[in-house]
Amino acid sequence: MLLAVLQGVSELFPVSSLGHTVLIPALLRWNVDEGSDSFLAFVVVLHLGTALALVVFYWRDWTAIVRAFVASIVRGRMSGERDERTAWLLVAGTIPVGVLGVLLESSVKKLFASPLPVSAFLFLNGFVMLLGEWLRRRQHATASGAAHPYKRLEELRPQDGVLVGFAQALALLPGISRSGSAIVAGLLRDLRHEDAARYSFLLATPVILAASVLEFPKLFAPDAHVVLVQAVVGGVVAGVTAYASVAFLTRYFRHNDLSPFAWYCIAAGGISFVLFVTKAVS
Amino acid sequence: MKQLALALAVVFLIIAVLYWTGHFYPSGVHTKHGIVSVVLALLCLVWYRFQSASPAR
Repeated sequence: MLLAVLQGVSELFPVSSLGHTVLIPALLRWNVDEGSDSFLAFVVVLHLGTALALVVFYWRDWTAIVRAFVASIVRGRMSGERDERTAWLLVAGTIPVGVLGVLLESSVKKLFASPLPVSAFLFLNGFVMLLGEWLRRRQHATASGAAHPYKRLEELRPQDGVLVGFAQALALLPGISRSGSAIVAGLLRDLRHEDAARYSFLLATPVILAASVLEFPKLFAPDAHVVLVQAVVGGVVAGVTAYASVAFLTRYFRHNDLSPFAWYCIAAGGISFVLFVTKAVS
Repeated sequence: MKQLALALAVVFLIIAVLYWTGHFYPSGVHTKHGIVSVVLALLCLVWYRFQSASPAR
């Protein structure tokens, strides 16, 4: 249950779910075999629960976006309408993470999915978010004092969407947050926190959904049925927690920035790094 | 551009088939790589469609 809550919260908060999935069992000395069929099946259901929570939360947006997307294909040209532009920005942002994810995920995980590099990446994740906030403040404070205009999500160019997609792909490194890097990239393309977060959560939906659907066969692995009931309960818990998280974060980012999450990552990553380097925890 | 879009769609479809039949990598069949290739092929076809449609009046 703890893992399910952890997944639901950390998948959407900009603090790296994958990083926490590696660090917390290591720090608390949980005896988890992360390569076992049963654990992998459990993780697939948790991801599915999270993705469904995102679909439910953004149900109206998704309906309008899919409708506009299909209409533009049928029409064979862009109308410039808001939902249609958002749909194509989502496509532009999903391609880099989809391609890089499939090509690099397993080799990156093999190289870096151990507690020491994850602690370092979590620290770096916090640093990047602080840097992003600082760059944005600098960008929006011109010498004349006049405020630089913010863009709405649908005003982004496709190349901005691709850039956010590449930033999102940095989260292949365990410890780097997908939502964190996507929000930072969005902020640097002149989005407000609220719009950058919305874009990040909309982008997360097809990625998490596709990842869990592609891993679906793991549910039918020989040892997977042992944890089926726990996995289903875990999936529901992860879904409810993810829904609460996205509801909280969309309100939070109306008036606040990434700084608290950045400081948390710097502290958690830094402390974990020292504990693992000094072998206080092994 | 129309021809390029169509050519890329065909290339991605061939890559998908090669992934699924295990001919692309000696290490075996790569289902996910194949799926991504098909998605890219479909996007190229959408690009082709956008190039082919008559312009707005």
